[in-house]
Amino acid sequence: MISLRGVSLIYPNGVRALDGVSLEIAKGDFVFLVGHSGTGKSSMLRLLYREQVPSSGEITVDGIRVDRLARGRIPALRRHLGVVFQDYKLLSDKTVWENVAFAMQVTGAHTRDVMRQVPRALDLVGLAHKSRMFPSELSGGEQQRTAIARALVNNPKILLCDEPTGNLDPTNTTEIMELLLRINLKGTTVVVATHNQAVVDRMRRRVVRLENGKVATDEERGYYYLGLGQGQILSG
Amino acid sequence: MDWGKVKFFLGEVLRNFTRNAGMQATAIGTVAITIILLGTFLFVRATLAGLGNDILNQIEISVYFTNDASPHQEAIVRSTLLHDPRIASVVFVSKAQGLAELRKQTNGIIDTSLLTENPLPDKLRVKVVDPDSVPSVADGLKKMDGVATVVYPQTVVARLLALGGVLRKIGIGVIVTFFLVAGIIISNTIRLTVFARRREISIMQLVGATNLYIRAPFICEGMLDGVAGSLIAIVVLTVARVWLWPKLMLALPWISLNSTTVNGPVLLLELLAVGAAIGAVASWFSVGRHLRA
Repeated sequence: MISLRGVSLIYPNGVRALDGVSLEIAKGDFVFLVGHSGTGKSSMLRLLYREQVPSSGEITVDGIRVDRLARGRIPALRRHLGVVFQDYKLLSDKTVWENVAFAMQVTGAHTRDVMRQVPRALDLVGLAHKSRMFPSELSGGEQQRTAIARALVNNPKILLCDEPTGNLDPTNTTEIMELLLRINLKGTTVVVATHNQAVVDRMRRRVVRLENGKVATDEERGYYYLGLGQGQILSG
Repeated sequence: MDWGKVKFFLGEVLRNFTRNAGMQATAIGTVAITIILLGTFLFVRATLAGLGNDILNQIEISVYFTNDASPHQEAIVRSTLLHDPRIASVVFVSKAQGLAELRKQTNGIIDTSLLTENPLPDKLRVKVVDPDSVPSVADGLKKMDGVATVVYPQTVVARLLALGGVLRKIGIGVIVTFFLVAGIIISNTIRLTVFARRREISIMQLVGATNLYIRAPFICEGMLDGVAGSLIAIVVLTVARVWLWPKLMLALPWISLNSTTVNGPVLLLELLAVGAAIGAVASWFSVGRHLRA
């Protein structure tokens, strides 16, 4: 589903965000990308939805060669992807319903489909009863669930999450993670960049650890730190 | 037809348009002023051109034959003129007719009965279609056999033609400037809206909206600015035309301003189209700059 081969990303200021990263993510996988801030987690996600172009290497997402993708083909790629951010990126002057519908409406979806898909997505994230509320009237967790509903409303095959629980308390964090798991169980490939050690250690999923722009470890059912359980924190 | 789509789209345009009411008002106001200036300029130019043409159209070339010119020579000159597409009319005035006209014009002040012979030559009174061709027609006539002199109000023609040329150049310059000013102002307004909506645009890009789709509401917004400004300008210009113009005509009775040379409705429609076009082009560029960034 997602494949990176020898991918490097060097910013114009000379910073090497990614350095020869190779990674395969199969359909239906649930993968944590972990590592300190600035180790290239977000950069890698940005490469996947073609917000950035790699300096070298090959990237394939759902059969599309993203590194070679023409500018005009980017919208088509992004319709296959859902992306969720730490800061939710909701529109404050639109209701929950409108925020979710927005993702369909601006891609030219038929109103009939919007009317069918939006309630479904809101049901999935458990916000059907708050569809008329504005983001400012919601808790952080509810706002993130709205953002997830928006990311899912077009039925993407892949959901990319960049620090989805970064602004949330532990209770909301657990809820969001359970929601992501449910989404994954329905067949969606989920990639979560996070530095929330508790979440990673509790979920016991595949963990790809980035260090200095390189894949340091890649474990099935891994921990945040290689081979260590929760509570054992290494320095550095 | 998916009316839900239409409703959503129009809702987005309206939301944009009403969000920065102050900025929109500024843009519309500036477009209105620009279009008023443009309209006034076009109107004045057309009226002046009409005035100039009226004067030029009355200009006559008088062709005097030599006293010994043969009827054959005179006939050749005349038929040449009649076959020349630049010529509107040719009137032959014989010696006798010339004298009769002179008597009439001088109204008996000069006693022509004292003349022992008619000193006037035969002549042709020539009118041309396009005033621009007066000098060249006159030059051609001078070279023909039997023609003594060719007379026309040379300086009037030359000055009016020069004035017309200068007016045309100034006009094009002024119009281009106005277009640029209006374009820049709308472009800046749209850029502010784009800036205010950059979050929305980034989300649109994120979920896979095409650039054309992202552009469309801004283009419509720009066109709305242009059309609204033009409509205000049109109201002002119409009021000026209907109410102010007759007063001006009364105040300046000695100028026979022939305002029929301006086709009012067509001019107003053109101004409307110009406003919409400026708005569309300006916003296309200001959104484009953002989308590429």
